[in-house]
Amino acid sequence: MTTTPQEPVTAEAEPRRRLHPLSPILHGAKSIAVVVAALSWQTLSQVGLERFAIVVLVLALGVVIFSLVGWLTTGYHVVGRELRISDGLIWRRNRAIPLERLQAVELRRPLLAQLTGLAELRLEVVGGGKTEAPLAYLTVRDAAALRERLLALAGRTQAGEAQAGAGAQAAATGAPTLEHPLLRVENRDLVISQLLTPQAIFLPLGIAFVVMQFVLEAQWTFIGIASTVTAMAGVLLQPVRRVLQDWDFRLARDPGGRLVVRYGLLETRSQVVPLNRVQSIGATWPLLWRGHKWLHLRLDIAGYAGEPGGDNKRSDRLLPVGDFATARALVWDVLPGVDLATLATSPPPARARWLHPFALRYLGAGLTPEVFVSRWGLLTRELSLVPYARLQSVRVVQGPLQRRLGLATVYADTAGGRAGQARDRDLAEAWALAEQLAVRARLARA
Amino acid sequence: MTEPLAPDALTPWPDTVQWRPVSPKLITVELIARAIWVVVLLTGLGVGWFFAPHWTWGAGMAAVVGYAIWRSIVTVRAVRAWGYAERDQDLLVRHGLLIRRLSIVPYARMQFVDVTAGPLERAFGLATVQLHTASAASDAKVPGLPPAEASRLRDRLTALGEDRAEGL
Repeated sequence: MTTTPQEPVTAEAEPRRRLHPLSPILHGAKSIAVVVAALSWQTLSQVGLERFAIVVLVLALGVVIFSLVGWLTTGYHVVGRELRISDGLIWRRNRAIPLERLQAVELRRPLLAQLTGLAELRLEVVGGGKTEAPLAYLTVRDAAALRERLLALAGRTQAGEAQAGAGAQAAATGAPTLEHPLLRVENRDLVISQLLTPQAIFLPLGIAFVVMQFVLEAQWTFIGIASTVTAMAGVLLQPVRRVLQDWDFRLARDPGGRLVVRYGLLETRSQVVPLNRVQSIGATWPLLWRGHKWLHLRLDIAGYAGEPGGDNKRSDRLLPVGDFATARALVWDVLPGVDLATLATSPPPARARWLHPFALRYLGAGLTPEVFVSRWGLLTRELSLVPYARLQSVRVVQGPLQRRLGLATVYADTAGGRAGQARDRDLAEAWALAEQLAVRARLARA
Repeated sequence: MTEPLAPDALTPWPDTVQWRPVSPKLITVELIARAIWVVVLLTGLGVGWFFAPHWTWGAGMAAVVGYAIWRSIVTVRAVRAWGYAERDQDLLVRHGLLIRRLSIVPYARMQFVDVTAGPLERAFGLATVQLHTASAASDAKVPGLPPAEASRLRDRLTALGEDRAEGL
């Protein structure tokens, strides 16, 4: 197997490449918005429009020059099986990313980047507190080509040699990759699903409450209105953001057998995940979606585990909203052999009702030939699937109350951050479960 | 539930595994570390009492002493409860009294091993070995090991880890 024909095989000779020349301006534009926000209206009214414009201009110029220096000193190139990135003017930093550690590659295009035809390439590797290598910005064509190349390099040592080979060949021929579309989420369903969240449901009530208060007490202070509006916006932010992020959600398989996830309205993301990088899958049935029998599927990948910011920033969607049949087909695709409809779980012993008076019926855990299944949750039902091959460690934890009842909880830790958990099992069963998990994980790895 | 592989798997099998205890000197280390804190707290409270005489300062001091005594009794039992066992494929670590925890960490999942020793631990010739996996939730930490045992464990873990190393 060779590298792409356009590139010389002697990888060491590959010159260092720069990011796109427009990058500093795009970075600058981002900062200018922050600067303007920081200066605020108050400053504008104090200094007058002219001076305000000058201040903003000077700051903007400074930011752009700063970004320009950053751009001049940033370079990347592929050496052997590493991606090397160097940046920094005063604190030089050279970073080598071993590509066999690559978990997923994501192409993000914020609004400004979309307007200018650029994209940001983000590589996820394990152990990074955050995304290790955001290459911002490249042209879309460059980014896509680099992504294909990195993934082909990354796939070489992996078990799915044939799949990786196919991917590499596709990259090598430079042919437009023919993807096999798996599914597309209707935007109508997405909007409805986000209207069926507690935030959206309670909004009319909230508005009515506020209006009533104002009418009755007649306190039309500016602060009061402003803070109410801000609070409302804050509450509504999550569903709105979800809709914007998951807009036009599409899922496909590329010729290499990898999963390609595309979504987003203002910021489009397209993420490529090799299937053997999937750490676990989580399914959620929110209470308000039950009328439609909808569920949400989540994909855990190791690189994103440390990323802060809750579930909004993370790229972990497998299915933002969909019915059971869709989810079932999808899970079968991602974890071959796992049928969402036939996952048998057994409940904990009846004496666990002292700990879970209501939710006991929905607790359960089970071992299928491929995955460790666990479910929990009364109102929002959750299901987690952890393939044995991805298990990192097994823990048995017994709290004081559990000891009284002779119960214990078994955790199956993954690198994705979320653990599968068999809650409140009989102690003997918990030991057996832990032993089984350890054995099966070992067999799955071998 | 599934059938266990070994016939003894339904008995609490960790009791059939040969557990190694941690050094009893860890008790002394923990007690000294606690004593230092108690002295610092008592000094602080004593100074407060000196400048603003009120009985609550005394009550606070009594509470600190009481808590320290209770924790010290627990410490003795907790250290005895720590244990680890090396099996062919994985390391078992158990600890905790109030909340009992058992971790099973396969050697193949090891990312790196930490050997640390604080000043107090060093004074008593002890070290802590911690095994890290790619999952943040795994906790395989063995404190209170004699340096020879700590380096033996570290070398064994790294050797086994290299043998069975793999990606995620």
